[in-house]
Amino acid sequence: MIGWVRDLFLRRRLEQDLAEEIRQHLDEKTDALVAGGIAREDAALAARRAFGNVTQMEEKGREVWRFLAIEDVFADVRFALRQLRKSPAFALAGTLTLALGIGANTTVFSVVNAVILRPLPYPESDRLVSVKSRDIRGTPHPADLSYPTFFDFRAENTVFEHIVSYRDAEFTLNGTEQPLHLRGQIVSWDLFPMLHVQPALGRGFLPDEEAAAERVVILSHELWRGRFGGDPAMVGSALMIDGQPHTVVGVSPPHFEFPITPDSAQLWTTVAKDAASGPVMPATKQRGARMLNAMARLKPGVSFERAQAQMDTIAASLAARYPDSSKNQPGTYVRPEIDHLVGDARWPLFILLGAVGLVLAVACANIANLLLAHTEERAHEFTVRAAIGAGRGRIVRQFITESLTLSAIGCAAGLAVATFSIRLFRALPVPRASEAVIDGRVLAFSLALAVVTSVLFGFVPALRAGSIEFSGGLKDGSRTSTPGSDRLRQGLCVAQVALGLVLVSGAGLLIGSFLHLVRRDLGFRPEGLLTFSVNLPSKEYAGPKQLDFHARLLDQLRNLPGVTSSALAMPLPLTGSQMSVAFNIQQRPAPPAERPRANMAIVTPGFFRTLGVPVLEGRDFVERDDATGAPVVIVNRAFADRFFPGEKVLGKRIEPGASDASGTKMREIVGVVGNARQSSLKMEEEPIHYFAYRQLPWCCPSIVVRSAIEPASLEPALRGAVASLDKQLPIYDVRTADDMLARGVAGPRFQMLLLGSFAGIALLLTAIGLYGVLASSVVTRTREMGVRMALGATRQHVLAIVLKRAMLLLLVGISIGVVGAFAGNQLLSTMLYGVAPHNPMLVAAACVVLTITAAAAAYLPARRAASIDPIRALRAE
Amino acid sequence: MTRDLFPGALEMMILQTLKRQPLHGYALVQHIQRMSNDLLQVEEGSLYPALQRMLKTRLVTARWRQSSTGRRVRIYEITPAGVAHLHREVSSFERMLDGIRLVLSPVKP
Repeated sequence: MIGWVRDLFLRRRLEQDLAEEIRQHLDEKTDALVAGGIAREDAALAARRAFGNVTQMEEKGREVWRFLAIEDVFADVRFALRQLRKSPAFALAGTLTLALGIGANTTVFSVVNAVILRPLPYPESDRLVSVKSRDIRGTPHPADLSYPTFFDFRAENTVFEHIVSYRDAEFTLNGTEQPLHLRGQIVSWDLFPMLHVQPALGRGFLPDEEAAAERVVILSHELWRGRFGGDPAMVGSALMIDGQPHTVVGVSPPHFEFPITPDSAQLWTTVAKDAASGPVMPATKQRGARMLNAMARLKPGVSFERAQAQMDTIAASLAARYPDSSKNQPGTYVRPEIDHLVGDARWPLFILLGAVGLVLAVACANIANLLLAHTEERAHEFTVRAAIGAGRGRIVRQFITESLTLSAIGCAAGLAVATFSIRLFRALPVPRASEAVIDGRVLAFSLALAVVTSVLFGFVPALRAGSIEFSGGLKDGSRTSTPGSDRLRQGLCVAQVALGLVLVSGAGLLIGSFLHLVRRDLGFRPEGLLTFSVNLPSKEYAGPKQLDFHARLLDQLRNLPGVTSSALAMPLPLTGSQMSVAFNIQQRPAPPAERPRANMAIVTPGFFRTLGVPVLEGRDFVERDDATGAPVVIVNRAFADRFFPGEKVLGKRIEPGASDASGTKMREIVGVVGNARQSSLKMEEEPIHYFAYRQLPWCCPSIVVRSAIEPASLEPALRGAVASLDKQLPIYDVRTADDMLARGVAGPRFQMLLLGSFAGIALLLTAIGLYGVLASSVVTRTREMGVRMALGATRQHVLAIVLKRAMLLLLVGISIGVVGAFAGNQLLSTMLYGVAPHNPMLVAAACVVLTITAAAAAYLPARRAASIDPIRALRAE
Repeated sequence: MTRDLFPGALEMMILQTLKRQPLHGYALVQHIQRMSNDLLQVEEGSLYPALQRMLKTRLVTARWRQSSTGRRVRIYEITPAGVAHLHREVSSFERMLDGIRLVLSPVKP
């Protein structure tokens, strides 16, 4: 290599020597011939003739010294860069197109990489599985586990090293000047052993610490650092959490996350918390209370199938042993944890990756088009190069080098684009999307894209360049645009139109679906609503104290300026959280496993008024609906229609499974209200039955306030109101209904925006491609147009010729694209709300959009053709 | 020089000529043509790539000199490696020639 570098300098010298030597040779020969009596000019010619092709000899002489391949590539790249500088418009168009195409692909891939391809951040994470019940009501679907079921799974299985339950929980940290709300997880004792993770400080939980009396926590590294200054003495000390002292037994490693969610847990405690809860029976004893996730680690050598088979056997035996609570869950789903985590996000991401790939294909077609046009322009150059001794292979190689150079520049620009656009994607409501970065794999992906694209767009023009009719090119003024090349360019246009249609109709479908989603009748008025939560420690706020606190809080809130009404609700609408219970209908009793189920909510009087839900029949809850009053329930329209179709609902009695300290009660339906949305995404109206909070005082409902002023500005006043009742209570999750709506539809919105912008880019590229083809065909056919006009064709005729051509390309493209669009739309079906994937109207609309685009692209070339001056066109040749 | 020369023939002739005396390119061509009685019609230029190849493999060396006629010329000289190479090539060429001759000679009765 060093020798080669030295040669580089030496060689300039050698080449000069050779050139000088050859010149001397020719001189000497000429002199000799002149001496022999030949005229000097003739002698010089004769000397050259005897010598042969000087350039070729020099080239061959130089080649001897060349470190061949690398050198040639350098020379080619230098030449390619010079070529690009020479045609800046082409270079700019090409680079921008590629930067967009490669940048968009790199961005989407970096998200796919972060979310799907990267392993979970635990050792040997491919052995981790999620375990869910299989609920066979309706289509079989995964369901959460109850504690008793989980304990049986844990005791009876032989396939897992550990199986761990976990669920979200809210905690309040007291004892410091400001109460602090913490997000936590209630987990089995062996969480850390199951993950094969060691706490950074202290220890993990012990098996005994699941007992009801135990109060132990492990803090997240971030909480420990941020709140406690990273004090190692924290381990072993006590913290006041929810009004009770808890011993800190450990601190997690830095960046440790469990479970993996955008709102990471700040502390972990054991199921002791749930073992001590509940007004009637602790949650750990209720086989029907399904609220747990479970993660397990397979024992070495155990396959997924074997684990699944054993868990199914256990579930089936539980269903037989406990028919009342478990009859409908006779099986399980044992899946790789990463599948469970990525879950629904996987498919849309792959769709987006596919879509952005199509955009790149359209971009490639465009650049191929540009290059083809460029090749035609350079036919003269290639002919000259061929004439002075460049082989066909050499020209093709030069051409491929040029494509690669362009790709490399485009790739670099694309990576720059990606570093910016990745930031936008980190906000994607998908687990782990926030970790998207350009790592080695993403880099390799975009480099591979650069190579693939340059082959895609460079191959065809390279072949064209290699097969240019060399003898013809030198004849000046001859048009070298051949019918073959034209057909190629038209083919590329057709492909663009087809791909564009696929993208546009897909985007149209998502836009239509999104509009359906946001225009859906929510059943209440979201504007002016503000919600927040307060966590009441169960010890200090037991029984009547809790009711009393909430009554006083509502009073305080009503008196705040700007607040028109307030109420409690659990769960809040639009949060996506649901509580579903079975109920027995008095007139049609059924055994427990066959009872119908419906969503439930617990609300206070005034809730419906606060939200703006109409009371259609009967009455709202009143303050008298308390423990001493007659047990009542209010249902929504969907509930009435589903369970009492065609009947008068008021006065009917049901016995819901939701119970207070005195057990379940037969309750009279006293009101029917409008359908208010519980979920932000589902299209269908869900049956809901509402309970009066005073008759079912579960902890802890959230607060909803209707405000006459800008709701977000109320926050300080709300904090003040809570603090005036109890300084130790933090409020959290302060959100306007608009916030919640936006959060709820963030996923579909993002998908729509992305596919929409991809389609937009594709349309733009298609328009440019079409324009290029039509414009150049007008230029090459100027003479023909001139002749036609000279022979009496009107401007309309000429216009029609160009437009007919555009129409033909468009029609062929559309007819191919429509097939693709229907196939592509089918892939979107799981991402749609209230729109069928086969929506001919939307596909037709997409065709219209493409036609308009094509018309816009055809307009300028057509006008230029129509304005050809026949005289000048004929003279020009 | 002519198309009919087999590969290596030109090198052999150049080395053989240079073995007698160092020469510059033009003189080399003239000498080879003269010695072959103009039987070898040459494209003179093809000498130079061959010379470059031999320079690179160090069979010859070259330096610039003033010729007797006052012309700046590049004189080529054979190296010991060039002499050894020539001997190998010539002997293998002669064996080949003998072989060809045996095949071509009329069969003895």
